[in-house]
Amino acid sequence: MHGSIKQFARHCLAAALLSSVALSAQAKALPGAPAPFDKGEVNIALVGYLFSGDFPEAYLRGVEQQTEALGAKLRVFDARQQAASQGEMIDQAIALGVDGIIVQLGLAETLKAPIERAIAKGIKVVAFDVDLNTPQVTQVEQDHHALARLALDQAVKDNGTRFDAGYVFISGFTPMERRDEIWRQLKQDNPGIVEKARFGTLNPPIANSVADQASAVLRANPGISVIFAPFDEFAKGAKIAVDEAGLGRQVKIYSADISTADIQIMKEPDSAWAATAAVNPQVAGAISVRSLAMLIAGENPGHQVLVPPTLITRQQLLDLDVKNVRDLAQKLPAFGDTANVARAPWIPVAN
Amino acid sequence: MPDSSSVLSGAAAPGERLLQVLIRYGLLWLLALIVVFFSVVEPAFLRVGNLFSILQSVSIVALLALGVTLTMAVGGLDLSIGAVAAMSLMIASYVMVVLGWGAVPAVLISLAGGVLVGLLNGWLIVRLRVPDILATLGSMFLVIGVQLIPTGGRSIAVGMTLPGGAEAEGAFSAAFLALGRGRVWQVVPIPVLITAVIALSVWLFLERTRVGRLFYAIGGNEQAARLAGAPVPRLKLLAYVLSALLASLGGLLLAARLGRGDVSSGNGLVLDALGAALIGFAVLGAKKPNAFGTLIGALLVAALLNGLTMLNAPYYTQDFVKGLVLVLALMFTFGLAHRAR
Repeated sequence: MHGSIKQFARHCLAAALLSSVALSAQAKALPGAPAPFDKGEVNIALVGYLFSGDFPEAYLRGVEQQTEALGAKLRVFDARQQAASQGEMIDQAIALGVDGIIVQLGLAETLKAPIERAIAKGIKVVAFDVDLNTPQVTQVEQDHHALARLALDQAVKDNGTRFDAGYVFISGFTPMERRDEIWRQLKQDNPGIVEKARFGTLNPPIANSVADQASAVLRANPGISVIFAPFDEFAKGAKIAVDEAGLGRQVKIYSADISTADIQIMKEPDSAWAATAAVNPQVAGAISVRSLAMLIAGENPGHQVLVPPTLITRQQLLDLDVKNVRDLAQKLPAFGDTANVARAPWIPVAN
Repeated sequence: MPDSSSVLSGAAAPGERLLQVLIRYGLLWLLALIVVFFSVVEPAFLRVGNLFSILQSVSIVALLALGVTLTMAVGGLDLSIGAVAAMSLMIASYVMVVLGWGAVPAVLISLAGGVLVGLLNGWLIVRLRVPDILATLGSMFLVIGVQLIPTGGRSIAVGMTLPGGAEAEGAFSAAFLALGRGRVWQVVPIPVLITAVIALSVWLFLERTRVGRLFYAIGGNEQAARLAGAPVPRLKLLAYVLSALLASLGGLLLAARLGRGDVSSGNGLVLDALGAALIGFAVLGAKKPNAFGTLIGALLVAALLNGLTMLNAPYYTQDFVKGLVLVLALMFTFGLAHRAR
């Protein structure tokens, strides 16, 4: 019984989401563009693993705007974190006869077979932040190395090359592992930087569980002056613990990712959260669409397209009086810039 | 609660007596041992600040566990508490951030929402005779789903973009945030104080009032309690309402600590709370759900996790340690107690 109720609610939500998207997406011709964009009959499907949360929502917005600028028609499939149904939705998109598919997140195991069926039918495929390991698929990814480097460079700039650090890390996830490589490199290059404690958990609510851990770590290592938390939920937890220990002025937190909630927390008085490096999800969405458009038009965006991150400091947020992510994209031009990656002269850039 | 069997076997062989002592005080000793061990290895463990951060980390789970204890006392089980906590967190955030109504309405509406789910659970179980696990599992899914609808599945944060495209105007009020972050006399975190008061009340209620004893009577033998004239349906309903009420209070404290209405929050709390209540069975050889045991159960797990984190133990040992404590407690409760008979 509970299953059907859950599904009912899901269907209502999915229907609401789809109808709003269907209204906004309409195909129109793009004169002067290579075929098939010159005729304006291009259909694109976005098959997403999840669309809830600040990041995926903004990603979806980026996809919608860039698709509209291209005059293509967008269909959105929301698998609501069900890996199996994401696979089925790709088959559905194939049956609808779309020209290209964007796969957002998910599990490579369940996606591989339907993606191969799509490629066999001549449908172009772009994958965002899920490694499908197929040569015909263009991989759009956040540049995790650059992301960690930006945050850590700022940490070194603020604190010098001698400090005790707490490190929040969980292995087993590609983004975290890539970010970890830069952290290890930094420690190797600077013997003065000492990792006093390593902790982290994905026990939900994540921020709450990490806060409990960070409390223990801060008590056990009073010398810690820097916490590197390369995932914003981790940073939130660390921030709670720093506040509870009353160490807001002694400890600085450097992290990755950004959301509206993060911006508010970073701006709090005496906030220990000094800086974060993040990819603008909206830009990532636009880049995914542009890469796909180039594939459909017979151009080559490359096998791997990296979305460059931006450094965002607490001071910038305060100086510019940033209220949310949308505001940030307007006030911090580097964060809002969509023009650099996967560009072709005929592709209009969404603003 | 003096156990008559332990009095009787007092004259038995020393081995038997040792076993009795082990069953009664085993977990308390374990707790003491953990505290001593960590204090020796890492002196910072025993500082006042750290002890209160352990209590702070316990307070939310303990509230939920106390609720589950009440439903367990009437022989039931409430699986929806995690979802109710999450819902209360979302309601409070929604009322303050989206509607901009301030702290008092947020708290009242959240608690009312909790009571509503409790009534639903009670109604399903008492009137429709749906088995408790199924009924609360159903309402768990229902509640998880319902809380997503107003925001279209988004987390609620100050300054968020609403589904319509506008920006949320409201904010978490300072008074509300103090519920989760404030300290009394600069030392005692407010959530700890709230949980202590609630724990004492639940303990008094279950052990010292007539209604509380009827709860246990129903849990022991519902038919007998009914024949003895206890208003069984009404008391069971009360148990589920109280359970949901405590869960929504826990959700409020969580919201105040996080300062954000996070859709993924709360749902994970149910297992920790259940674990604490089950470990509580073993404390003082009670062999039944009890408030003091539940509190000790939650404390035991939190002290272990805090100490292990201090010693830099990797994160994946956490669940293992929780499971170990739980299995150990179940051994004390059922295995050893059975052999002592």
